[in-house]
Amino acid sequence: MPGIDECLLEAMTLPGARGAAVVDWTSGLALGTVGDAPGGDHETTAAEAAELARLAAEHRAFAPAAGSDWSEETPVEDLIISNRDSYHLLRFVRTTFDSSVFLHLWLARSEGNLALARIRLGEMAGRLVLG
Amino acid sequence: MLSRLAAERATGVLLRERGTLYLADGEVVHAESPATPGLDVLFAARGVLDAEAWREAVAAAGARRRVGRFLVDSGRISKGALELCHLGSLYDAAYFALGPSSTPTRFRYGAAHWLGPVRPVPVAALERETVRRRELLHRIWPDPATDTAPLMRSRLAAGPSVPLRQEAVLGRVDGVRTAADVSLALGRPAFHTLVDLRRLAAAGLVTAAPAQPPPVPSVLTQPSDDPDVALLRRLRDALEAL
Repeated sequence: MPGIDECLLEAMTLPGARGAAVVDWTSGLALGTVGDAPGGDHETTAAEAAELARLAAEHRAFAPAAGSDWSEETPVEDLIISNRDSYHLLRFVRTTFDSSVFLHLWLARSEGNLALARIRLGEMAGRLVLG
Repeated sequence: MLSRLAAERATGVLLRERGTLYLADGEVVHAESPATPGLDVLFAARGVLDAEAWREAVAAAGARRRVGRFLVDSGRISKGALELCHLGSLYDAAYFALGPSSTPTRFRYGAAHWLGPVRPVPVAALERETVRRRELLHRIWPDPATDTAPLMRSRLAAGPSVPLRQEAVLGRVDGVRTAADVSLALGRPAFHTLVDLRRLAAAGLVTAAPAQPPPVPSVLTQPSDDPDVALLRRLRDALEAL
């Protein structure tokens, strides 16, 4: 059964993975980290990624159409950012208790497979909470 | 004191005015505060673990101080869920426990919590995070009044732009509840509520309720004559005089 460390280590087996973290987007705290972080600092990266995740989770423009019941849950599944040399994938984790947690995966663009990573990270987020 | 305990790899419980920290081999393994909902409240809020499940787990593994491990091994919760929720509640309670204190700090060597270790946190990381959280609140809205006082909604109507999680907090603000009460009602870490309340205060939607004024002696508040009756009498007199 995966805990935080097992989940992060599994994320690091994806092609091109440079670093990964589990982050709380309300406080900006990294609950667990593995590998490298942009700029070498996981804590700063977590705080910055948390700001972005919060905006996506809180703004109604990014929520699914009215009628779907997402009460108290994050309406967004994931966020994808690309730049010249890397991808960032942020996957919201739906938990069985009140939380605001996401997985952050940093991928090298040359080796990374964004579609594969997105599917795998979603599966990992599910297993992390449901076992 | 905390860094000295970390350096000597102490095991025991640190008692402070607003919370307690449990240490094992110099690392923080558990934290509790009256200002924050405990792990039981967090897991009960959505029916994951009810009081009966906790009683059963404490009866089976409390004496060995392995209740967390028991809950995972018996399939009640996943390892990941326990780690995420416990780590969240540990940092949450530590934020209040490590806050300003007007009473002396005490340490009882040897004491251990019945939950058992889940994911120990180094003392330095916890202290750094507590400072960072204080600064985060200050950046959002510098007035700390909403952290502790009874809360009331302002007369501004909340627009459709209030995010869902803040809306849940706003819905519990009733002129009586404090941030700690709102967290307990929502089964949500208290620091998360402080963050949302500072954002709501910055948006002008929530304020701290003014302190209740001392009661005025009733002799002074009783009207000598009912003004409306006096007015009616004068009107009647004027009409009769016509």
